[in-house]
Amino acid sequence: MPVSDGPVEALLASLQERAKELNCLYEVEQILALIDLPPEDTFRRIVEVIPPGWQYPDVCCAVIDIRGQRFQTRPFSPTPWVLAADIQVHDEVVGSLSVWYLEERPPEDIGPFLKEEDRLIRTIAGRLGHSILFHKMHEMRGEWESASRELEAEKEDKWRAPIDLLLRTDRHLYLRIARKMVNHLVSAGVDRAQDLLQEIYGYVAGENDSDPNLPGRSRAINQQILLIGAPFELAVHHLGVDKVLALTRDWIMEDKASFLPKVLTNPRLPLSEVSAAVHRFHHLLADGADLSRATLDGIRVSLIRRFLSDQLSFISVAKQELETADFIGLIDSVLLSESSHGRVGGKSAGLFLAQRIIDRAAARDPELEPVRVPRSWYIASEGLMAFIEHNDLDEVLHQKYREIAQVRQEYPNIIHLFKNSRFPRETVKAASVLMDEVGDNPLIVRSSSLLEDRLGSAFSGKYKSLFLANQGNKNQRMGALLDAIAEVYASVFGPDPIAYRRERGLIDFHEEMAILVQEVVGARVGRFFLPAAAGVAFSSNELRWSPRIRRSDGLLRLVPGLGTRAVDRIADDYPILVVPGQPGLRVNTTIDEVVRYAPRKIDVINLETNRFESLEIGALLREVGTAYPAFEQVFSVVKDDTIRRPVPLMVDPERDELVADFGGLVTSTPFVARVAKMLNLLEAKLGTPVDIEFAFDGRDLYLLQCRPQSFAADDAPAPIPKDVPEEDVLFTARRFVSNGWVPDITHVVYVDPEAYGRLTERSDMLAVGRAVGLLNKLLPKRRFILIGPGRWGSRGDIKLGVNVTYSDINNTAMLVEVARTVGNYVPDLSFGTHFFQDLVESSIRYLPLYPDDDSLLNERLLHRSHNLFGGLLPELERLADVVRVVDIGQAGGGRVLRVLLNSDLDEAIAFLANPEEERGRGQSQPVGRPAGRSDTFWRWRLRMAERIAAEIDAERFGVRALYLIGSTKNATAGPSSDIDLVVHVDGDEGRRRELATWFEGWSLCLGELNYQRTGYATGSLLDVHYVTDEDVAERTSYAAKIGAVTDPAMELAIGGKP
Amino acid sequence: MSESSAFNPFEAAQAQFDRIADLMGLEANARRLLRSPAHEHHLAVPVRLDSGEIEVFSGFRIQHNDARGPAWGGVRFHPQETVDTVRALAMGATWKTAVADIPLGGSMGGVVCDPHDLSPAEQERVCRSWVRRVARTIGPMRDVPSPDIMASSQHMTWMLDEYEAIVGEHAPGAVTGKSIGAGGSKGRAEATGYGMVYVLREALRERGIEPGATTASLQGFGLVGRHAMDLYTTIGGTVRCVAALDSATGRPISVSRRDGIAVAELLELSDRLGGIDGGRAAERGLVLDDGEAWLAADVDILIPAALEHQITEANVDRVSSRVRLILEGANAPLSEAAEERLAGRGVDVIPDLLANAGGVICSYFEQVQSGMNYYWTQSEVLSKLDLKLTSAYLDVSRFAKAKGLSQRDAAMVLAVDRVADLCRQRGWL
Repeated sequence: MPVSDGPVEALLASLQERAKELNCLYEVEQILALIDLPPEDTFRRIVEVIPPGWQYPDVCCAVIDIRGQRFQTRPFSPTPWVLAADIQVHDEVVGSLSVWYLEERPPEDIGPFLKEEDRLIRTIAGRLGHSILFHKMHEMRGEWESASRELEAEKEDKWRAPIDLLLRTDRHLYLRIARKMVNHLVSAGVDRAQDLLQEIYGYVAGENDSDPNLPGRSRAINQQILLIGAPFELAVHHLGVDKVLALTRDWIMEDKASFLPKVLTNPRLPLSEVSAAVHRFHHLLADGADLSRATLDGIRVSLIRRFLSDQLSFISVAKQELETADFIGLIDSVLLSESSHGRVGGKSAGLFLAQRIIDRAAARDPELEPVRVPRSWYIASEGLMAFIEHNDLDEVLHQKYREIAQVRQEYPNIIHLFKNSRFPRETVKAASVLMDEVGDNPLIVRSSSLLEDRLGSAFSGKYKSLFLANQGNKNQRMGALLDAIAEVYASVFGPDPIAYRRERGLIDFHEEMAILVQEVVGARVGRFFLPAAAGVAFSSNELRWSPRIRRSDGLLRLVPGLGTRAVDRIADDYPILVVPGQPGLRVNTTIDEVVRYAPRKIDVINLETNRFESLEIGALLREVGTAYPAFEQVFSVVKDDTIRRPVPLMVDPERDELVADFGGLVTSTPFVARVAKMLNLLEAKLGTPVDIEFAFDGRDLYLLQCRPQSFAADDAPAPIPKDVPEEDVLFTARRFVSNGWVPDITHVVYVDPEAYGRLTERSDMLAVGRAVGLLNKLLPKRRFILIGPGRWGSRGDIKLGVNVTYSDINNTAMLVEVARTVGNYVPDLSFGTHFFQDLVESSIRYLPLYPDDDSLLNERLLHRSHNLFGGLLPELERLADVVRVVDIGQAGGGRVLRVLLNSDLDEAIAFLANPEEERGRGQSQPVGRPAGRSDTFWRWRLRMAERIAAEIDAERFGVRALYLIGSTKNATAGPSSDIDLVVHVDGDEGRRRELATWFEGWSLCLGELNYQRTGYATGSLLDVHYVTDEDVAERTSYAAKIGAVTDPAMELAIGGKP
Repeated sequence: MSESSAFNPFEAAQAQFDRIADLMGLEANARRLLRSPAHEHHLAVPVRLDSGEIEVFSGFRIQHNDARGPAWGGVRFHPQETVDTVRALAMGATWKTAVADIPLGGSMGGVVCDPHDLSPAEQERVCRSWVRRVARTIGPMRDVPSPDIMASSQHMTWMLDEYEAIVGEHAPGAVTGKSIGAGGSKGRAEATGYGMVYVLREALRERGIEPGATTASLQGFGLVGRHAMDLYTTIGGTVRCVAALDSATGRPISVSRRDGIAVAELLELSDRLGGIDGGRAAERGLVLDDGEAWLAADVDILIPAALEHQITEANVDRVSSRVRLILEGANAPLSEAAEERLAGRGVDVIPDLLANAGGVICSYFEQVQSGMNYYWTQSEVLSKLDLKLTSAYLDVSRFAKAKGLSQRDAAMVLAVDRVADLCRQRGWL
């Protein structure tokens, strides 16, 4: 290398060298691409373009020696300064390529040569080898065909010439094909072929059968029989000349392609070699058109198994859809190619397959444009193990077998440990390459584990996905990327996925985590980066708010900005729901509904602070205004009691009321129709309902994820038992059923449709609504269901349904509407439209019942059971005929009400069952359902409540008695349940405040303990209700529970008192 | 279930009319004429759905009485609408326009359907199909539909467009509730809330009380509640407590401050639909309480402006002994029993028919402006509204005092009398 003055010059010189080398390689490729050029000319040209790639071109000469021929730049006498590489075809050396310096030059890595030059010469030699092989096959095929043609006339012996040609040019290949021919004849049932087989292998039929436990004897193969062409003669006799020649030709081609399966099935070969083999295969055989279907399938399956998945259901679909060429792009995007084996994990595999399916269909259907996928890079799955080994972190591998509480406690330390560990040099290098390619576009680092996105184990949200603003200098950006990768790696050892795997019996699976790094889809708007819209879509609709919506119409959850808000159910905000099959049927139709249920917040990347942020949409619009991408498609203007498409120029974001209802996108663009087509296509091809994640940058639609439609734990279809005794059934339904499991129900609130219809006073009907609101507060949260006539929440004609608002029913587990035939028609039900989105976001089930038609409602059970209503709400006792509250435990002899919903069957059932009984009546644990509710939650709570009672200083706080109510008392508490206490106090305000502080301490402490045990961050855990002497005397407020007829409060022994 | 024993809104409306007729000693023919609607149109409304199928919906237009002028009344889309509800509402519209003393009659109509099950294009076809069926019986000088449940200004504009296409000329007065550019009236947002306070102001003047010396508690912070609060505080009143739904949780709450809450500070904490952010309100030093606390507030005036049936037998005792006046912004916020108990305590009730008539009057103003094709400024609209309501209130109040009636009964008697009188003049009776 020339002596230079400083580091900058050195770097420049080095870069110039790399440029020369690349240029040289490019020239070589250009020449090799001219396939009609005779080989001699090819070699002659190549030796001319090689010297300019070297450091000292003027004293440089290139030489190709091949098959006794020599091609060189110019004649010269040998010198000591030479660099050489073998040219190989099928692992056999057929010649060599050498580069000579004619004069001495300063010493470098290898004599006067650079190590980069050594690599270059090997690469060129490799390419020459491929080229020779290609020419050879090309020639052979030509000769074969011309030989066949020439012999067309002489029927008799026309097969001999080509077979002889084969024998002369490639003896090994001839032998392999001759053997294959014998096998083929045997399997075709030719008797003589059996004899031939024996002659070749010396095998006597039945010889080995005598003692199956002894190893067979090995024998030498009689090649002579093969060499004289016996198998071919026999074959011509039985199959005819044409068939034999066709078979032979196919087998020759297959043999030439056989290197690829060999490479693919060898797990020890690193990705770089696999990549080279795939490239070579593609170069040699183009689209593999000459290969038999079986061979091609074999190759495709090997590729799928190697890179995507070994799950059989995945393979069977993928092999229909993927071509070998498709893998080239994928392999080129796998980082760490030197050592990696290249499995890219479930998420990446699903996305890759979906994209190919859509692209292939788009070629035939112009309405379905090819879908875009953000630029992606993969770190293959063994990266995690490499990271762990590199840092001696093996102890974390046993984490999954520890107690969940311990896992949870240690998880923050593991994250910290991982973030402070060093990555193997290769990973750092890969990150550097990635940074150079991607520049400062924001990135998302996503988990793509082997278990993820497989059928039946959705792992949704269990592992991490991290957004990176990717701003700053390269070192900072790389640091952030590696940090994020470490954090995603650490999430394998987090409590949630471990608990989830344990529930599914996947804990012993050797989980590996690949990483998918994607560019974030979006545009820069001011200091923020965001897509116009993003969301998730389901091909099967489980949330129907109108009887006109079919399951196959699908469902879209759309949000402005990053899709994070659409993926999860969010308590404080709403996504826009669209049915792709019927985009005109919107869940919100009046202006008030549209405004009330419009998204209020937006997730963005702040490029200045380098952070992911949730903003108020209004605040964002005041800052960026109509520069928001595709503004007029995302937002509408609410003005004058109308909702209008905005004209961006006329919009004043400071003053106008803007609502993100996606009116423009849904009604004026093909967006929804395209998503609908995509969903239908993917569902048809993958053979299962799918869910996808997507983003829209204002111009293009990007696919971000595709997987079998997953269900949150309680949204999976429940098996419907058929053997429930009729008297135990409360209701069944056969229409508009969604999927899901309702937690075990302890109480039913039944507004009797007939009695409600008989009410003559409007005030009484309103009072029924108020009663429901009060019961909603008194009954155990999510452990009761509401059954009532017509339309819950009816605001117009109150006769049609109980007048309630969402806050009156927000603690119910389920809302059931009963449609009783009136005269000759069945009235419409509301499908929960009045608060549909609230129901969705808080997982309250909705079910319509048509008892006069095809459903069953066991009114006898409700009527003959004791009605608690009067006891719970004495002030409204006059309504006891209308509103019935049934304690299922009491009515059903200690049983609970179990409600199972199955949308696939369109069936639902509610029946009395024992609390401990395995769900689904002894059927195997269904997919998507966590293990049966453990009783540890309430036992622990009860113990803690008793502890609190024992610790309380009754005198100091003026406590007369302490009671336990609710789920802990009823033994139904789940991991997020409160502990409900009723405290009878003496009414001294000061002492009561002190007591409240004392409880607060317990509450926070128990909340933390509960979090450690279950992962539910509830903050405080106690729900304390105070009652005074007066309350107790009048049985008002929670005092009604004390000594109540049913579900009475349970008194706890306090402060040493018995 | 037996139909006769169930609650029937039309029978309830007739019972109310009968009681008033008895009170007035109304002649038999007048009772026969006014007890039932004059015209009933029962319609089959065919609509082509997006799928290409046809669905036939049921529809109505029921005109109770048009002696005092063109009929006026709502149009609604409701999936379980019954003819008796429509009849009752048509009769109610007659009394409403008569109490406000505007030259209109009363009607009601709609289509039995749920817009949640219809795409916007289908809703448009429902509107147009309904208009094609009633075009010969509606019109600016025949019967004027205005928006009711689930009907928006968009629906009204579609209806207008279809009507104008049929008659072949512009007729913006054919429907009301249009958006401002399409012929709507300015001041519509303020009309009901301001109207309540115009009436309240007159009531206080009669009693010789300065508004500045009064305190009030308000339920509801929607369009009506917030405008009422705005004008009431502008004329000097102090609002101590406001009840609304918590915008975060959806639960009813009350916020209060003894020395008064400014409407501006509450607007900052509220959403468009009248919800109030309780958490932030507490941070601003407002006292947060349960949703019923508003009616127990220590004030002179209660203004229920949200839902019906809020003060009942169950909670009427919580009403402070200081309360002298209840202004019914909402429809029927008091139960009968509660009203009796309050009357016994000397509390006056300004009835809904009068107190919330601002909306009807503004709808009439819209029809008038549309007829002239000339539109007033907001202040013109509001000052005309003030004039109209002030005189309507004084009519009712003086009549009530003179005859020793409650204002509720007095308003109804006046309304029935005005309608019957025109019927006689026209020779119908």
